[in-house]
Amino acid sequence: MTDKEILDLYKAGQPELAFKEIVNSYSERLYWHVRRFLCSHEDTDDLLQDIFVKIWASLSSFRGESQLYTWLYRIATNESLNFLQKQKIRAALRFESMSSKIEDRIDEDTLMDGDQLQRDLMKAIQRLPSKQRTVFIMRWFDNLSYEDISEILGTSVGALKASYHFASEKIKAELEKNLK
Amino acid sequence: MEFGNDIIEKIGKPSMGVPDGYFDGLKSRLGSISSAKVSSPGVWAGMRPYLALAASFAAIVLIGNAILRDTAKSQPADPFYGEETYADIISITNPEILYNTTEFDLEELSDEDIINYLIESGVRTEHFAYAGDQY
Repeated sequence: MTDKEILDLYKAGQPELAFKEIVNSYSERLYWHVRRFLCSHEDTDDLLQDIFVKIWASLSSFRGESQLYTWLYRIATNESLNFLQKQKIRAALRFESMSSKIEDRIDEDTLMDGDQLQRDLMKAIQRLPSKQRTVFIMRWFDNLSYEDISEILGTSVGALKASYHFASEKIKAELEKNLK
Repeated sequence: MEFGNDIIEKIGKPSMGVPDGYFDGLKSRLGSISSAKVSSPGVWAGMRPYLALAASFAAIVLIGNAILRDTAKSQPADPFYGEETYADIISITNPEILYNTTEFDLEELSDEDIINYLIESGVRTEHFAYAGDQY
C-alpha cells in the first residue's frame, strides 16, 4: 500500500487500519534504521515499540505537509538520538565511556554476521559526531536521497553533503589506520 | 591489504541479524498498539500540573499565615512590658554606664532618660498617666 493510500484510509475515518498499514510497510525499515544507531537488537526492539506508540498518538496531528515516510523517519531518528543521549548521560554519571560501551556491544553482538573489518566499520561510524553519523547512516545504509534527508533533518542539502563527505573521510582514515 | 578510496564500499554494509520469525511477531505486536487506544492527554491531565502548583502555593500561604499569627500572639501585646525592653534603655546623661558596669542598674537612669525612651518607643500618653498614678 502506498503512503497516499494509507493517508486516504486515515482520512476516510479508519485510523486503526491506516496505522496497521504503516506497521506493515515501515516496521522493518524503521527497525533497521534504529538498529544502526543503537547497535543492539534488544534496545532497538524496546525503542521501536515506543516509536510506534508515538506514531499512533500523533497520527492525528500529521497534516500531510511532508511525506508520510519522511515524517516517520523523523520520529524514529529523533527518538534514536534522544535514546542515545540519555544513555550517554547515564554512562557519564557512572563515569563510564559511552563509545567504549557501544564498541563492546558491537564486538559481543551475536546477531551480527560481519567479519572484523565490518565490525571496525561499525565502530568507526559510532565514533563520528552525532550529525555526521546520522547523515552517514541515512545516506549509506538507508539509501535515502539528500532531498529526503534534508526534509527529515531540516538541514540544507549542501550541509548534508559536506557532513557526509567529512564522515566518509573520517571512517576511511580510521579503517586504514586499523589495517596498517 | 590495500583498498584505496573505496575502502568503505569494499568492506560493504555489515549484515546484522534478528531472531527467527522476529518481524512477524513484531508486526502483530506493533499492530496491537492501536487497539490499546493510546489516547492523548485530556483536559484534566493537561491542567493537573497547574492545579498542583496552585494548591502548593495556597498551602504555603496558609501555613505561613498560621505560623506568623502564632508568633505574633506569643509576643507581649505591648513591647514596653517586655523583659528585653530594658536592654534598650541606655542612659543619655551617662551612656558609659553600659560599659562600666556589669549589672545594669536602673537606679542610675534619670527620669529624663526614661521619658526620652518612652517617647521614642511610641508609648501612649495613657501609659504615662498610669505610671504617674503608681508613683
